[in-house]
Amino acid sequence: MSADNLRQSTGSATWPTRAGAVSVGKSVRYLSRTLGRGGGTVLPGLVASRFDRGLLTSLARELPNGCVIVTGTNGKTTTTRMLAEASRAAGLHVITNPEGSNLLSGIATALLIKTNAQGRLKVPATAIGIFEVDEGVLGPAIEALDPRLVVVTNLFRDQLDRYFEVDFVAGLWRRGLRRLRSDATVVLNADDPAVSFLGDGLSANVIYFGLDDQKWGKPGLEHAADSRRCPRCDQDLRYELSFYAHLGHYACKECGWRRQDPEFTARNVMLDRAAGSSSLIRTPAGERLLQVPLAGLYNAYNALAAAAGASCLGISPDLFQAAVRASTGAFGRLEPVRIGAKQAVLLLVKNPSGFTEALRLMMSVGPQVRLIFGLNDNEPDGRDVSWIWDVDFEQCRERISYLAVSGTRANDLALRLKYAGIVTSRGELIGGPSDSPDALTQKHMLVDEDMTRSFFTVVEQAPVGAVVYVLSSYTAMWTLRSALVRRGYLAPFWRQTATLPDAGQARAVPAGRQAHADQGSAP
Amino acid sequence: MKLVLGYLYPSVMSQYGDRGNVLTIVQRCAWRGIDVEVDSLEIGDRVNPDRVDLLLMGGGADSHQRLVYEDLLNVKGDAIRKGIAEGAAAFAVCAGYQLWGHFYKTAGGDELRGLGVFDAHTIHRAAQTGIRLDTIELAGSVRAVGNLVVQWGPYVLVGFENHGGRTYLHDGSSSLGSVLRGGGNNSEDGREGCVVGNAIGTYMHGPAFPKNPALADHLIRAALSRRYGTVDLVPLDDGNEDTAHDRALEQATARPKWWWRRLSDGVG
Repeated sequence: MSADNLRQSTGSATWPTRAGAVSVGKSVRYLSRTLGRGGGTVLPGLVASRFDRGLLTSLARELPNGCVIVTGTNGKTTTTRMLAEASRAAGLHVITNPEGSNLLSGIATALLIKTNAQGRLKVPATAIGIFEVDEGVLGPAIEALDPRLVVVTNLFRDQLDRYFEVDFVAGLWRRGLRRLRSDATVVLNADDPAVSFLGDGLSANVIYFGLDDQKWGKPGLEHAADSRRCPRCDQDLRYELSFYAHLGHYACKECGWRRQDPEFTARNVMLDRAAGSSSLIRTPAGERLLQVPLAGLYNAYNALAAAAGASCLGISPDLFQAAVRASTGAFGRLEPVRIGAKQAVLLLVKNPSGFTEALRLMMSVGPQVRLIFGLNDNEPDGRDVSWIWDVDFEQCRERISYLAVSGTRANDLALRLKYAGIVTSRGELIGGPSDSPDALTQKHMLVDEDMTRSFFTVVEQAPVGAVVYVLSSYTAMWTLRSALVRRGYLAPFWRQTATLPDAGQARAVPAGRQAHADQGSAP
Repeated sequence: MKLVLGYLYPSVMSQYGDRGNVLTIVQRCAWRGIDVEVDSLEIGDRVNPDRVDLLLMGGGADSHQRLVYEDLLNVKGDAIRKGIAEGAAAFAVCAGYQLWGHFYKTAGGDELRGLGVFDAHTIHRAAQTGIRLDTIELAGSVRAVGNLVVQWGPYVLVGFENHGGRTYLHDGSSSLGSVLRGGGNNSEDGREGCVVGNAIGTYMHGPAFPKNPALADHLIRAALSRRYGTVDLVPLDDGNEDTAHDRALEQATARPKWWWRRLSDGVG
């Protein structure tokens, strides 16, 4: 009996189990929300899957337009969002998992809340699943969801206590992608050697995207680069251009393996500080100007990945263009919060390359910035905080007008900043505020493990109109965000992603979201 | 005074923030008016044993170890051994520590010959048990991952370990200290690290020096002693270092909340 038969036969034989499992899952979700323990985005799927092991597989099979998976170390949430918004604009009914709930249990939850009493999916014929998947479970996710499209953004060093080594993750992905059916499509980053090499010898269709813009490239590699070796022969890669970390144009000195010529490229990339970017995206269907309202070169990359994915789903470049122009930051991805007459922007930082890029963005917004760094060492953050020593904090010397460090590892951050030459051993900012005309700047770095308290202290002391940037690891951001939700400054994250309007209301998306933000900012 | 720091394989073997050890040596010397020159010693570069006072080598994956071990043996080996024998200081972390022993047997079963500076050998847990590392769970099951707390003389060192190899010291070789929390050399005998002359091998990432300034200063002193005899280092204001050390120690020795460990897997 083939694996496929097995899956089908267990699926039909156990449908009463499935109805039971689904109703248990829904009850868990109801309880979790009623008790205010969070969004119930994980536990329902986790519990329901205990009752019916094939639940995720059988629910995914019922999606009329199949599934899309987005994975990678950085940018998967933003890419998933852009792809989802473009799909909605194209008239598809999108089922997606909210940020963070990117293990199989989170995807199972996203599907089971769409079922009827018999445990069957109750969705329109235009339904499609677009899921962000944690890099550690790509293989099992491909097996369970049998996706038609997989988008891989990049592979950086992240949470070494959980994923061990970059090579190990690349190996997991390689084995996972081999399980794809041969008519599926894989969209890969041509500029990331480890990701690009995943396409080698794959039976599925492979499509590449990459940056084609000399002016953002530097010769050589920076410290945060994780992949310097040829994935085919293990020799040194020679970089003609590197954009950031190990993303760039490269060729192997030994075996001649080199960057693939991508089908989707971005050129003439213009970065408008914190406002976003515009670039010319070349696709097989022609060239379009793409405006991305999210700052940073890495978000231009995310948009390019999403453009390639959208094209594979048959979404027209015009619809994609319009949808991305209206996109907003996901949970803690350049997420704006208005606190009275002041503003804060939340940026999630998880690994050396992401943190270094976020700092580079900070350095581009003005001569001096107000920064809060948050670092926890809980499981989702990574219990090992060594990685902050691979972050290029040195670029912020004499550029910070107000500084606070927070989270359970605030003191590790304080120490890192001392050795980076940003503060003295007494915590005074070196060369920053004393020269600044801004009278309300503080001379001392604030060290307070309480994330929420630090945030409000910094915001209170900021002058009217000032912007405070919060760069924080996962659970520290979670703590802060929950406090902002409780005080009415932000909408809960599950409400933001789970109730995005469908195709008919697509044009109302930006207006509706704006209303949310305005509501939140009312004092 | 001047100190020459030889940074071994910075582009290959510095995976776990071990670059922080270099920054720490450079800064702690600069604050005391001691000049530091950092020599990056990549694959192919020779080590001058008369020039280098302190060698640092960090961690890396099995594949990185395979890349450098021949170079370490054939290009740099004699000079490193000569330097150590003549009193140069060294700090080798994790993969670096493993390659400075007699041999390292990788997860795949290959035996990489080491420098033999430390009278010890290392076997990957997967090679000991025959477990194949096909999934995250299996790969996790063979590794020692977590906070590492070590009694080193009068000091308590705190850091982080993340290794699949188990290191066994041979008779007569001395360890860096005893394990108070974590696995250390092999999770069996309660010992951590190895010391030969002024060379220290250890599994301690974190990186080790910033939060354990006594260890950093010990190596600075040892590195300078070869040229300048007994050196008195000016004491520094280590308030931040001590606070970060003490908080990390509290967190390392606190019991993790079981429900958090259960649930947190779902929000990551």
